[in-house]
Amino acid sequence: MSNSRLLNRRLKSWPGWVLLVLVVVGFGVVGATRDRGPLDPGDRIDELSRRVACPVCDGESVYESRNPASEAIRAAIREAVSQGTANDDAILAAIAEAYGGRVLLVPRATGFDALVWALPVTAGVIGIVALVFAFRRWRIEAGLAGVANDEDYQIVAAERERLGDAGGD
Amino acid sequence: MSAERRLAPWIAGGVAVVLVGLIAVLIAAAPEQQSGAATTLLDRPAPAVLGEFEDGTPFELSRRRGSWVVLNFFTSTCIPCRNEHPELVAFVDQQRSLGVDGAEFYTIVQHDEPDSVNSFFADNGGDWPIVYDPNFSFQNGFGVAQVPETWIIDPNGVVRGRVIAEVTAEFLSTTIQRLREGA
Repeated sequence: MSNSRLLNRRLKSWPGWVLLVLVVVGFGVVGATRDRGPLDPGDRIDELSRRVACPVCDGESVYESRNPASEAIRAAIREAVSQGTANDDAILAAIAEAYGGRVLLVPRATGFDALVWALPVTAGVIGIVALVFAFRRWRIEAGLAGVANDEDYQIVAAERERLGDAGGD
Repeated sequence: MSAERRLAPWIAGGVAVVLVGLIAVLIAAAPEQQSGAATTLLDRPAPAVLGEFEDGTPFELSRRRGSWVVLNFFTSTCIPCRNEHPELVAFVDQQRSLGVDGAEFYTIVQHDEPDSVNSFFADNGGDWPIVYDPNFSFQNGFGVAQVPETWIIDPNGVVRGRVIAEVTAEFLSTTIQRLREGA
């Protein structure tokens, strides 16, 4: 009796979880693979400029800064884009090589900088695993509490009678 | 005791160890110095950069191999550049006294006009080659964000030193001499 109810409850609940997982995976796939369409060179220069910090300013990207150093970096990006032989990563790597990695506003996915990307993912995985354990434990505890059987009903009825609870619920 | 209860302390301990390790790394890591002379170019071939003299004649750094080369990034309105200029004059004189063994010295003009630069040199002395950087080739090649900066390149075309500050004649001379003897 109780086992079938638990099974029934599980069967009712899992489509919701499956749907949730599908939605999350779907958004993830779309976000990771969506094609933003072809950028023209101007857009590409602007986008790259936004990913490089002005080396002598506080909190400004090369795109925003009017500093001569930023002007020089914009020129380097413009030239690299116009040559068309380097991809975005190579262009940014060349700038980081000359000015130092600190000018990259989007950290690299290698070396010590990779921690910035790895830590949130690791924390997320640990959190999900912890939730799975917690849900499992709560479910087991709930199962141990059990479902009232005939004996339980008899005990309750006897107790209510003893206490003189004759008038309805 | 359930498996979860046995496992939980180990998971918590593992997470704690990782966090403590990260904090230790962050505390122990040397802060990156904005004004330091650290550069990824040190002991590596100098970038292939191209500038030009005032008359439009190209200046290609790679063609200076065979000599010690000192590049001084400069703007005539920069106060530290003005302050160090007498020292540069003294350094160039000292190197010229060494004849063919002396280092070649070049001013790399950053974001400045020839009229201002010529006026500055007329007032303050200095008759070494002045290179303009209209395409930011030197600036982006060496990653020079502010002036003055001084770079030392050995006869093999390898970057051997970078100074992000005012320099003195004595410092430059002794540094190059030390590098010569160590080379």
